[in-house]
Amino acid sequence: MKLEASNLTKAYHQHEVVNIEHVAFGAKGLEGLIGPNGAGKSTLMGLLTRRIAPTSGDIKLDTGSGVKTLNPLKSHEVARIGLIKTNQRIQGFDSLTIRDSLRLAMTPPKDEGFMSVFASHRDPEDVEERVSQLIEAFPFTDRNGYARSGGEKKLLDILRCLIAEPKLLLMDEPTAGLPDDITRTVMDMVREKVADGKMRVVVVEHDLPLIWEYCDYVHFLSEGSILFEGEPEEVKSNRVVAEKYMGV
Amino acid sequence: MDYLIFSFSLMLVYIGLAQLLHVQFGLLGIPNFGVVGFWGLGLYGTGVLYVSYSMPLIVAILLASLITAAVAYILSHLVLQRSGQAILAATLAFAAIVATLIITEKDITGGVQGLGTIGFPFADVASRNVIYFFLLMVVVVLLIWISAKLRDSRMGRSLIAIRDNEELAASLGKDTAGTKRGVFVLTCALMGLLGGLTAPLHQFLVPYLLAPSLTFAVWIALVLGGKGHNLGAMVGVFATFGLFDILIETYAPVPAEQAILLPNFKLFCYGVLLVMIIMFRPAGMLGVDGPRTRARPATTPAGDASVKEG
Amino acid sequence: MLLIDAIFIGLLEASPLILAAMGFTLIFYLNGFMNIAYAESITFGAYFAVLFNVVLGAHFYLSIVPSMLLSGCLSVAVYLAIFRPALNRGVGPTEMIILSVGVSFMLRYGLILVVGPENLFLNEPDITYLQFMGMGATNLQLVALALVFLGAGTLYWMIYNTGLGEQMRGLANNHDLAMASGINPHRTSVAIWFIAGCAGGLSGVFSGVFAQVTPYMGWNVILITMLVTIVAGVGSVRGAVVAAVVAGVLTAFITLVTKPLYAEVALLLAFIGVLTYRGARTA
Repeated sequence: MKLEASNLTKAYHQHEVVNIEHVAFGAKGLEGLIGPNGAGKSTLMGLLTRRIAPTSGDIKLDTGSGVKTLNPLKSHEVARIGLIKTNQRIQGFDSLTIRDSLRLAMTPPKDEGFMSVFASHRDPEDVEERVSQLIEAFPFTDRNGYARSGGEKKLLDILRCLIAEPKLLLMDEPTAGLPDDITRTVMDMVREKVADGKMRVVVVEHDLPLIWEYCDYVHFLSEGSILFEGEPEEVKSNRVVAEKYMGV
Repeated sequence: MDYLIFSFSLMLVYIGLAQLLHVQFGLLGIPNFGVVGFWGLGLYGTGVLYVSYSMPLIVAILLASLITAAVAYILSHLVLQRSGQAILAATLAFAAIVATLIITEKDITGGVQGLGTIGFPFADVASRNVIYFFLLMVVVVLLIWISAKLRDSRMGRSLIAIRDNEELAASLGKDTAGTKRGVFVLTCALMGLLGGLTAPLHQFLVPYLLAPSLTFAVWIALVLGGKGHNLGAMVGVFATFGLFDILIETYAPVPAEQAILLPNFKLFCYGVLLVMIIMFRPAGMLGVDGPRTRARPATTPAGDASVKEG
Repeated sequence: MLLIDAIFIGLLEASPLILAAMGFTLIFYLNGFMNIAYAESITFGAYFAVLFNVVLGAHFYLSIVPSMLLSGCLSVAVYLAIFRPALNRGVGPTEMIILSVGVSFMLRYGLILVVGPENLFLNEPDITYLQFMGMGATNLQLVALALVFLGAGTLYWMIYNTGLGEQMRGLANNHDLAMASGINPHRTSVAIWFIAGCAGGLSGVFSGVFAQVTPYMGWNVILITMLVTIVAGVGSVRGAVVAAVVAGVLTAFITLVTKPLYAEVALLLAFIGVLTYRGARTA
């Protein structure tokens, strides 16, 4: 699974927010994307998942069984190929319980057709099992009810994406609004899945220690362009990154 | 007695319409204010096909429903991905267009002179209106049963997800636009079917039947009963149509000179009821309160929840 | 020639619509929902004029202002009694519209129960038919046109050039920020609902004197008003004026070349078309 963008630009009112000659994600397992505020990280994420239309440029996804150009696809089609993104801002389905929300994410669209109305069971065993397993791993206040706090909603958003079993998962600031220990449980889970070869992950984060600890490879984005890429150690010691970001 | 059976049959039609609106708005969040337009297409479509083209009633009804579906399909492409308020205004406009065209195209529809006569099926049976009443009941019970099943199904869950947050549902791989379109076209076609089934009840069709008050009556019933509850539509129709149009109009001892004001009094009461319900019991008579009450400031911009796709 | 006729007739006929669309837009912008009960501001404006002009026997021109003000008061009363509590309870935009339908029914049929369903007529002032460059209009129409433009102009000035307009925009865009910067949301909202009600009332008085006063007169124009507002874009009073004028001229033009009912259909279709291609991000 490899996601490649070339000559990708996005401009709002002639102001260029993103201008990337070439970048590839998903080659290394767990990758990080860092950069100062306003570098265009969230815009890039939106462009990659087709929520934002690019001003110009191509986005290609290599699924292993052929290369797909994402440009003409709608956002649900991108998700169906296996590219899913967690949200930076809190998003949720207010009328679905935690369980229903996860069941929904795990159910493939072909099982949600009109014929499902007449099915005798709503969800198959394996869905129920997987959902319970995931819920047990986290301290939700009401495991059979609704996500209460902002933190629970944020966590649920990440879990929804995990249970949907993407091939490439983009995580937009997963630590924001989550307690430390929960973030660690989530990231450990993510690392395990990556190690098993089930998916590749790109994490956008401001929390640099987390990036250094978990990521195998880091991209540095500043002023809309990728300025440096490399292993965490290389990035840490890079002069450009230090100057532009870490304020050294 | 015949009049009572007519009233009860009409009430069944109202329940069916409110039930379909429950699917459209209660489950999927599409504010269809053109109910009378879709119903009217089915009604007049059936009338024209039956009277002018001498089709058998059942064929006319089915064909009219198909026409309604086609129109709904076009409309769904035009406005369904717009904001809720835009959909509301557009469907209201659509119903007004249908009502106006029925008047202007008098060569086809009979215009203000009316169109008739549409006979009951089973013409040689004495109690054909009773049989027809039970036939309607079967259709409406079926509608309620299916929408109850729908609500608890995987499909229903995805509809609720689309209503709550369309963009998020799309990002999880749900074809939100396609699902909305499909459900909208199907439910509108069923509104057309109910319209077709109404044709023999009225026998003689006049443009007055297509007044927007039908749309509002159905909406009031749905909101009154509870838009999120399966039986809300039915209870709402009992509390409005059943109480006022049947019970009071048939049995209340109103002096003749006041009787002319009765329909106005009824609509006044609808208004008061609607205001009371939304103010004091927003989820409707049967409704349970949602998972959380959303407190919002008194003034917010028109940032509607609906979402557009690129 | 046809075009000039259409523009002239369109302007005359659109003049009440312009006022109604402006008032409707103000509420839509401030509170974020389409207030269908605004129709009753229009209807009641005309009925108040009947009260002053027919029942109390005042001259038509003298009854314009008090009718307008009473309509404004009614609008404020409805806001304070129903819409403000509902908004504070967090009723969503679609439910607010349904609520406004309820309010509309309550007011309209309440009115019918009190004064009866008959159509009423205002005592028109003396009518003279004036001709100017081949086009004719009555003095009443011209006065109405002038007053509408005066009213619309004042409203326009108020929104774009005074503190009240600024406060309204502040409240609509960011409620909390506006409160923090010392805007009194209560007073501003009441003022806006009053102004909107007055605009509706004035619109009703003129619609009433041009034709007749019926309990359904506001209801009959509310759909067009709604569409004009949505097409114009949320809160764009400029847009509402332009869209109302275009709607009026378009109706007049189509009416001249075909039947009036087709004009209505064509207008509604045009609105749906505009909604499809441009209304995407407005409402």
